[in-house]
Amino acid sequence: MHAFANPRRFLAIAVPVTPWCFWSGVLLIVAGCWAGLFIAPADYLQGDSFRILYIHVPAAWLGMGGWSGLTIAAVMQLVWRHPLAAVAGRAIATPGAVFTALCLSTGSIWGRPTWGTWWEWDGRMTSMLLMLFLYIGYIALARSSADRGEAGGVSRVTAIFALIGALNLPVIHYSVEWWNSLHQGSSIGLSGSKIAGSMLWPLGLTVLGFTFWFTAIVLLRMRAILAENRIEARLARMSRG
Amino acid sequence: MDMTTTRPKTKRKHQRLVLILLAIAAMLGGVLLAMSALKGQAAYFYTPAEAIAAKVEPGRAVRLGGMVEGGSLKRAADGVTISFRLTDGKASVPATFSGITPDLFKENGGAIAEGAFDASGTFRATNILAKHDERYMPREMEGIKYDPNTHKVSAAKP
Amino acid sequence: MAPWPFVIAAYGLTFIATLATSLWAWRSARQAEARADQLTRRD
Repeated sequence: MHAFANPRRFLAIAVPVTPWCFWSGVLLIVAGCWAGLFIAPADYLQGDSFRILYIHVPAAWLGMGGWSGLTIAAVMQLVWRHPLAAVAGRAIATPGAVFTALCLSTGSIWGRPTWGTWWEWDGRMTSMLLMLFLYIGYIALARSSADRGEAGGVSRVTAIFALIGALNLPVIHYSVEWWNSLHQGSSIGLSGSKIAGSMLWPLGLTVLGFTFWFTAIVLLRMRAILAENRIEARLARMSRG
Repeated sequence: MDMTTTRPKTKRKHQRLVLILLAIAAMLGGVLLAMSALKGQAAYFYTPAEAIAAKVEPGRAVRLGGMVEGGSLKRAADGVTISFRLTDGKASVPATFSGITPDLFKENGGAIAEGAFDASGTFRATNILAKHDERYMPREMEGIKYDPNTHKVSAAKP
Repeated sequence: MAPWPFVIAAYGLTFIATLATSLWAWRSARQAEARADQLTRRD
């Protein structure tokens, strides 16, 4: 794990990997959305509005996966003091928040024609909205600690905040089982999928595609933060003469 | 870094790891406990059996969720008032509503009604939401039987 | 209720957000890396 402790060694891999992740992600997203919009058959109950599934599910997965990433980064920062962990945490936060917001808004747009409402305070929606606020809190904390010039830009308070926020992840996942909710249960679980095969495969493409794309964005953000750290270190040395 | 400090450093790392794992386990346990305690309160709706068991008093605004019983949906002469029965398999409650229902609101489909019981035990809904389940399948398969326990799809008997 | 306006709105929103995030991440990385290289090359 500490093989990547040296930013230079990390960058030697991250820089060539970024465009591959990005463009393969874009390709898969376009193919998956095309198939989801025009090839997959309409749902027996919801008709064409179910097609929002192909972007709503990847958004939910990356919103929650993003916070899982923040949690892993926080543990690596607190336990192993890994120098890249804080950088990774800061890099994940913004795209994670974007996808959480997309999950909420595409869900809202989907809810209107199917459920008959834009928004209801049910367990799933409320806990997902809480995660958006947690992301905003994390970004604010990370930014204020970066302004104070802490190494890598994420204070230990911010990392601990990520750990506490992770408690919301099981709440989001089980909200539809613990409580009577408007949102339906999970379609895909350990026991298999409740989505017909002809409607499932485009979802595989978009989930994979958005995941690659997300990885590319995180790598770009990490490169930006590492370069900013280099600039600051250089300016500090120059001002000291 | 000074090489002689390597050993105590790993020990400290282990201590930090154990502490953090303990903290996470404790917080997780706390949240799970709180959630199971909240189970009743945080529910978005009552099922008919729950509403009867909880003796929801007439006039109190609640949500009632279940399936629209097959054959129970009737439209009154005015064209906007409907009456139906909501069921959860254990109990069934009569309900009325006047207004526009979502497209997905139909017999044998899931629905959530917002409103209150009247003195006679009929649920007077002021708003209706449709609830669908986690299954997605093409229209051609509509006549096909699906077993929610085994996720097996079998041909419906002709 | 006609489904396609909702579907188009959801996809459109997603593409705008994805595009904006891509441009922002790419520009911030390129600018920061260019500036860092420029500062390092100076001495």
